Amino acid sequence: MLEVQHLVKRYGSKTAVEDLTFTIQDTGVYGLLGPNGAGKSTTMNIVTGYISATSGTVLVQGQDIVAQAAAAKRCIGYLPEQPPLYPDMTVEEYLRFAAELKGVRPKTARCEAVQTVCDRVGLQGTGRRLIGNLSKGYRQRVGIAAALLGEPKIIILDEPTVGLDPAQVLEVRSLIRELGKNHTVILSSHILSEVQSICDDVLILAHGRLIARGTPHELAQRLTAKGSISATAQGSREDVLRAAAGVAGLQNITVTGQENGEISFTAESAAGADLRGALSQALAAAGCPVLRLSAQTASLEDVFLQLTDAAPAKEEQL
Amino acid sequence: MTAIFKREFRSYFTGMVGYAVAAVSLFFLGLYFTNRNLLYQSSDFAGVLYTTTLILLFLLPAVSMRSFAEERRARTDQLLLTSPVSIPAIVAGKFLAQLAVFCVPLTAAAVMPLILTAFGKVSLISAYAALLGYILLGGACLAVGTFISCLTENQIVAYLASFVVLLIAYLMNGIKTMFTSGNILAFVVFALVLLAASAAVGVVCKNILAGGAVLVVGAAALFALFILRPAWLLSAFDAVLTALALFAPYAEIIGGSFSLPVILYYLSVIGVFLFFTGQTLERRRWN
Repeated sequence: MLEVQHLVKRYGSKTAVEDLTFTIQDTGVYGLLGPNGAGKSTTMNIVTGYISATSGTVLVQGQDIVAQAAAAKRCIGYLPEQPPLYPDMTVEEYLRFAAELKGVRPKTARCEAVQTVCDRVGLQGTGRRLIGNLSKGYRQRVGIAAALLGEPKIIILDEPTVGLDPAQVLEVRSLIRELGKNHTVILSSHILSEVQSICDDVLILAHGRLIARGTPHELAQRLTAKGSISATAQGSREDVLRAAAGVAGLQNITVTGQENGEISFTAESAAGADLRGALSQALAAAGCPVLRLSAQTASLEDVFLQLTDAAPAKEEQL
Repeated sequence: MTAIFKREFRSYFTGMVGYAVAAVSLFFLGLYFTNRNLLYQSSDFAGVLYTTTLILLFLLPAVSMRSFAEERRARTDQLLLTSPVSIPAIVAGKFLAQLAVFCVPLTAAAVMPLILTAFGKVSLISAYAALLGYILLGGACLAVGTFISCLTENQIVAYLASFVVLLIAYLMNGIKTMFTSGNILAFVVFALVLLAASAAVGVVCKNILAGGAVLVVGAAALFALFILRPAWLLSAFDAVLTALALFAPYAEIIGGSFSLPVILYYLSVIGVFLFFTGQTLERRRWN
């Protein structure tokens, strides 16, 4: 379990993370989503103990990352944005070194652990190759393999699929999903489809604050809850608008098109209820046949844009 | 720590640095040994080591320059600092690896006095005491270099800065004679140091008052000393300059006085600079 409480990080006068508080339970894939500069990497660097927070605490499995650094760090496997690889080492040498750093002992256990993670991330047969000669995709795999060594409970991956080709992206995603079954995986990304497809829980950050949290589905629903409807009906403009206005709870009726006696319009239901049925009946009663009627659903992308756009305004209000 | 030591040591020999250091070191040791001890039939091996201390100025910054600068540039320090390894262990592992690289060619130097015993009477104690002193001196140079490497991301800058610092330390005995002329000079130099220190305190604490307080208290103490005990000021200044002359105590060892204070001096230099290195790493995480 990872508990982050009132985390603040300031670089001089610039605030990178502002009063961030969240808790992450065991197992599952968690996504930190946010535009560039939202504080994702800073948060990850603080959680893994690479940098220290200006104030606030991070508890990893109940251990403080500053006061009980060694014990807390032992529970975390971290792949930074740029994998920390030594180009002059072979894959096997590097992974053995990483295993030794993480306290995997004795030597036979280290060799076994290296073999296991290599099999897991698809690095078989590359053990004797120099890291400096590997492609970006393989380097990323070596980085992930190093993060898995020492069997950490929490695996933190900072933009794990950046710079990979589409086939490699799919492979890494399926690996992350696989890892999520037994570990807590926290990944950061600004690729929405990625987060939508692999994360069980999404935390949206903007300007160093947590502005929304929920499953991708919940977040998408939160916006569509307003019930945005778009419809096209046959009839005169007045009849259609009068019928629509007569539906209780329907507001913001805006005509978007008018052609050959067909009126297209959008409307919102304030209460959050689905008013498509009521609208259809009202139009039919007014003698205006409904040609098209649909509820507009927001994608996670819409949620993301809406929330991250709204954040600075919120900050100004404060 | 052992993991870091092993990786560092190996990395010097997967690249060129380890071999180059060994080659240059062996070349000069071999040259002077052949010339002085073998051709001129001198039994003074310590003198050979003393002559080659100048080589350390060029050689050791090449060993220490990459230690932290390269890690920071390549961002591999993220692996070390997020592993369950403490900062003192990281610094110690890196330093010991550098010392080991420095010692590899010295294994040949360890055989040289034994070769001389075949030709006559040689004081092995003074020869090996000189070798131990040589290793300690090298360790002190490496600790200084490690600290400087920790301050920058650029290896070349680390090399040049370490070289300049070691050069000043090497020449400090000569420089010192220029500064023993008067109390006023000592006062001025201490005042400048005080000014710099109080400015540093002000910047670090982000508080002008704190810096001002250090300046006022320090200036009062300095002025009182200057008026009441001017000789103390001069001797303190002299002591500071003596402490900065890193290579001077080694001459004492060569002169036959292998004393505890000299060993302690080198061990303290190593300790102080490695401590500074650790503090710098720690401080960077908080900024």
